[in-house]
Amino acid sequence: MDKLIIILILMVSGIVRGQGNFYDGMNKGMELWKTGQTEEASAIFERIAAAEKESWLPNYYVAMVNTTSAFKEKDFNQLNKYLTRAQSALDKELAKHPNNAELLVLQAMVHTAWIAYDPMSYGASLSGKVSQLYARAEQLSPENPRVVLGKAQFEMGSAQFFGTDLSPICTKLERSIDLFDNFSPESSFHPNWGKNQALESLSNCK
Amino acid sequence: MKHIIISGFLFLNLFSYLHAQNIISGVVGDTRGNPVFGANVYLHGTYDGATTLEDGSFIFSSSQTGTVALVVSYLSYREYRREGTPNEFVNINITLREDLNSLDAVVISAGTFNAGEKARVSVLKPLDIVTTAGSAGDIIAALQTLPGTQNVGESGRLFVRGGDAGETQTFVDGLRVPQPYTASVQNLPSRGRFSPFLFSGISFSTGGYSAEYGDALSSVLLLETRDRVEEEKTEISLMSVGISLGHIEKWDKRSLNINTSYINLAPYQVLVPENLDWNKAYESLAGEAIYRQEFKNGLWKVYTAFDAAEFDFNRENIDTALSQNVKLKNKNFYLNTSYRGTIWNNWQLFTGISQGHSENLTSLDERNIENQENAFHFKANLGKRISNGVRLVGGIDYFRTGFEEVYSAAPSPISTSGFNLQQFAAFAEADVLFSRNLAAKVGLRYSYYDEMEEAGISPRISAAYRINENAQLSAAMGKFVQSPGQDYLKFTSDICTEEASHFILNFQYQKERRLLRAEIFQKDYSNLIKFETGSPGFNNNGSAYARGLDLFWRDDKTIKNLEYWFSYSFIDTKRDYRDYREKVTPYFVAPHSASLVTKYWVQAWRSQMGFSYNYSAGRPFNDPNTTQFMSGRTKDFNNLSFNWAYLLSSQKILYFSVSNVLGHKNIFGYEYAGTRDLNGNFRSRAITPTADRFFFVGFFWTLSDNKASNQLENL
Repeated sequence: MDKLIIILILMVSGIVRGQGNFYDGMNKGMELWKTGQTEEASAIFERIAAAEKESWLPNYYVAMVNTTSAFKEKDFNQLNKYLTRAQSALDKELAKHPNNAELLVLQAMVHTAWIAYDPMSYGASLSGKVSQLYARAEQLSPENPRVVLGKAQFEMGSAQFFGTDLSPICTKLERSIDLFDNFSPESSFHPNWGKNQALESLSNCK
Repeated sequence: MKHIIISGFLFLNLFSYLHAQNIISGVVGDTRGNPVFGANVYLHGTYDGATTLEDGSFIFSSSQTGTVALVVSYLSYREYRREGTPNEFVNINITLREDLNSLDAVVISAGTFNAGEKARVSVLKPLDIVTTAGSAGDIIAALQTLPGTQNVGESGRLFVRGGDAGETQTFVDGLRVPQPYTASVQNLPSRGRFSPFLFSGISFSTGGYSAEYGDALSSVLLLETRDRVEEEKTEISLMSVGISLGHIEKWDKRSLNINTSYINLAPYQVLVPENLDWNKAYESLAGEAIYRQEFKNGLWKVYTAFDAAEFDFNRENIDTALSQNVKLKNKNFYLNTSYRGTIWNNWQLFTGISQGHSENLTSLDERNIENQENAFHFKANLGKRISNGVRLVGGIDYFRTGFEEVYSAAPSPISTSGFNLQQFAAFAEADVLFSRNLAAKVGLRYSYYDEMEEAGISPRISAAYRINENAQLSAAMGKFVQSPGQDYLKFTSDICTEEASHFILNFQYQKERRLLRAEIFQKDYSNLIKFETGSPGFNNNGSAYARGLDLFWRDDKTIKNLEYWFSYSFIDTKRDYRDYREKVTPYFVAPHSASLVTKYWVQAWRSQMGFSYNYSAGRPFNDPNTTQFMSGRTKDFNNLSFNWAYLLSSQKILYFSVSNVLGHKNIFGYEYAGTRDLNGNFRSRAITPTADRFFFVGFFWTLSDNKASNQLENL
């Protein structure tokens, strides 16, 4: 009996320490990312991912950090490095959580980064995949503001390209902003970004 | 020095708030002793770690005790792992080994052009085949803008580096396509049979190809169908030459594509008369289907195509001065099914069969030629990566071709000819990556032809060396054999295979979205088939050589929204084969060819516009009025084509193209009468295109849930 209590106490304290560790580690990563030290941030998230197999968040941020960098990159080798890293982190988590809408949105963003770099090479093969990913994410999680935003932004890109009417897309962007206002993430590390992007996209609508 | 300062600084910093912690430090380098910058160094299962600095050094602290694993990971290197106690990890030197299978390893490029999604260095992009002005959606026509090919307008087939069109073999998903071109008659060009949008990858080899492919003397064209489709859609096309309808249905693990088309050139010819006197314009009905099914460890595909075509016209007969009636009816069926998957212990298995059936009825006035070809191919390959840098693959091929021809010209008796050729081959090949900068491929192919009772071994070797991140050198050489064509085999089995050897040296430079390729080659032929005019005997006494230089430059970067490529080929070749009197440059070879292909996107007009310009120097022809054999030269060939794709809306496209905008009067060669006229001369007639210009207008409409999808990729 005593033994069991001791084991329990050890387990609980272990978990608590583990959680504290996770919190500190993730915070450290976020901070490095915010201050522009993307390589270091990516490396920290990778380390956390290797230690915390149950959480999809560290790999989500590995992918997120690298995809964000890729959108700003013009050099192919560098872009390829970022997106390869993002893709391999996403592959690991999508294999475990194929129905996670946040991961699907991020996968769509990885493809979009390739299309943005060279539409002639990647547009034909990847744009179908992107719309499929948003369609699936919408089915799984229709109220997720990032799903609504991502889908609207992708449609906006093609609508601008084809010169079609933007107003239905603007309505969707407005809806995403409402959803952002009412969104509460599960934890402080769960994805909670996008409102600023939505506001910025909406300003292009008018 | 910098290293010491940074380390010292970090030390002080760390010591100010750390106690009872272990300091872990060291330097990470690669096998050549260069520092690795940005590697992730950490203790496995903890958050303790650091990234390496520019000099490869790292330092961090950990309160871990006992046995831990130090891990170093970095893209394109194999993960490093070492077990030990934290205090062992002080000032350690770590060497990372390259992951030889990573993306930036050297790829052998001698002789090969890769296009499509899977290629690392793409010469053509998926859309290029269909948006190249003048190609009109024909894969073969688009490939003719690449160096190493000859523009032989009266044929429409692929002639590569001094080789005849019959020296190129086409494979779909690794399996041979016995009849890759639409049926035609002499001097009327044929097209490739396949719609380009079915393929996700195209690899066109102008020589030096892998031992996996045999019975081709000059070149192989490898087409890979898509492994999966992304969405369901229906596509409707209305064209000035016909209509087509396509549909894609998708389930969880399965998908089905169906395409049908009906082409009839009659209405077009009413509007734009041609140089030919048509009784019945070209008409065809075609359908194709692809079924794919995914299994846990593999993918099964079935591709099948059917088409029936006919035409009838009258042409001037140089010998009789009367017109000759030419009729053709063709039926063609092709089936290809393959399975690719992993078995046992990571062995990769590929196996498949293809069957091609073709029936032709050609009538020239009262003479009827009716033939049938049945060609079967079975193939099985087994491959395995046996270590980081070595992959072995081996396999077998079995080909069977049955051909039968009936010739009737009343009142003469009916004559039949034909053959049944079986061929067995086996190959083994090793891909070796010595480092990320040096790779080689070594293979052997054994083949046995039963009709000729002939066996032989063909060695092939190629290698590539990466000079730096952007430049590489490759070389390839090998021996290639091919069975003689049906024109000879139907008469005799008393001949043996034709042979060629290739030597290729290639330089490739690629940076951002620019690519330069330069290649020199030497090709020697032996055992080519020869015969004497009017005598029934065939022999293998022919020979030939070809040597030259190919240049390719592609630039998608310099001018915004403009993509262009430029190709130039120089070739010096002489050939003694068929009934040639001596070794001369054959009729299908122009010493200089060049093409410039441009595509420009105009956002304001939602349009892509393109120009292609093709040039070839004059080709040889034989003028029997002179004593010198093949001494004639046609004038230079020029063709400027233009196309315009306009996006009416995201799913509706209007497409317009015109070939030979400037209306050059091109001449492919000359035909001569068999007998002298009253003045003692052989009369001649120029072989010209059926029309000076060809106009195409099409409307393409896609119906799908995804409103951004359209048929631009099909044009």
